[in-house]
Amino acid sequence: MKLLMVSVGEGRYAVPADIVTQILDPALEGDFRVERSEAVYRGVRFPVLDLHAAAGERPGVATVYLVIEAARNRAVVPVDGADSIRDVPSTAIAPLPSFIFSRPDREFRGVFSDGGEPRLLLDQDGLL
Amino acid sequence: MSAAGGSWLISFRVGGAEAALPLAVVREVTARPPITRVPGSHPFVSGIALHGGVALPVYDLVRFAPLWSGPRPVRAEGKAGEAEHVIVCDWGEARVGLLGDGVDLLEAEQAGNAPGGAQASRCRMSAEYVREILRRDDEAVLLLNPERLFASLGVPAAEPTGAGEGGGEDDPAGR
Repeated sequence: MKLLMVSVGEGRYAVPADIVTQILDPALEGDFRVERSEAVYRGVRFPVLDLHAAAGERPGVATVYLVIEAARNRAVVPVDGADSIRDVPSTAIAPLPSFIFSRPDREFRGVFSDGGEPRLLLDQDGLL
Repeated sequence: MSAAGGSWLISFRVGGAEAALPLAVVREVTARPPITRVPGSHPFVSGIALHGGVALPVYDLVRFAPLWSGPRPVRAEGKAGEAEHVIVCDWGEARVGLLGDGVDLLEAEQAGNAPGGAQASRCRMSAEYVREILRRDDEAVLLLNPERLFASLGVPAAEPTGAGEGGGEDDPAGR
């Protein structure tokens, strides 16, 4: 399973790479802007999923935007960094127990070891 | 000695109190592993650790307000507990970790019941979570009620065979 490693504040997470269609750097994209809870890219509006708010983190100064798409739903996710793509076997990803969450909708579904540190896998079903 | 009579306990220090759990629910005690905070989890969940390839939710009982009858040892939004050990417990289909220090093995038969005065002065935990108050030397050891504790933490109890699998876990790869 190919995963894109991202950082959001102090959190280090992973996104299934196959749902990431683009990584946008607003400094390099003239036709991209964010308007409150929506992003507009080349005239198309996308909902913005605010992981910083979900994680209780403040946005960094060099935010990049992931365009993600799955099951015909699309969204833009601001992150502070997209570091690398790693191939992580599905068997190495442990499911997160649902009972630890304080609400039914959740942003994370699994965890795997990344250099000895647990790294959380974002839940595409929860995001989109 | 009644409920705890003749059994082994794991005692540990948490929030300034000396607590204990029946050894039967404790799988092992480990040095504190790397723990990653999980946004959206209960405030008393310190985070998630990997334990033998399994996601181990680690609970900080200091942050679990209903457990404490007196002033909270720390604020719920305060700094994460610095305990050096994790008491790994098997509860139903779930495996959970509790942060603790000063972990020790205690035989309930050798620990006496604490006198009433000692109980009143030393017990800062809510009575509903304490099955029995034992005495070890000159200190009170609060034997926790695991059924009550884990239920309050949201850990599902064992289900009848075939009623469910995975302890509330989902397949992270979407299988």
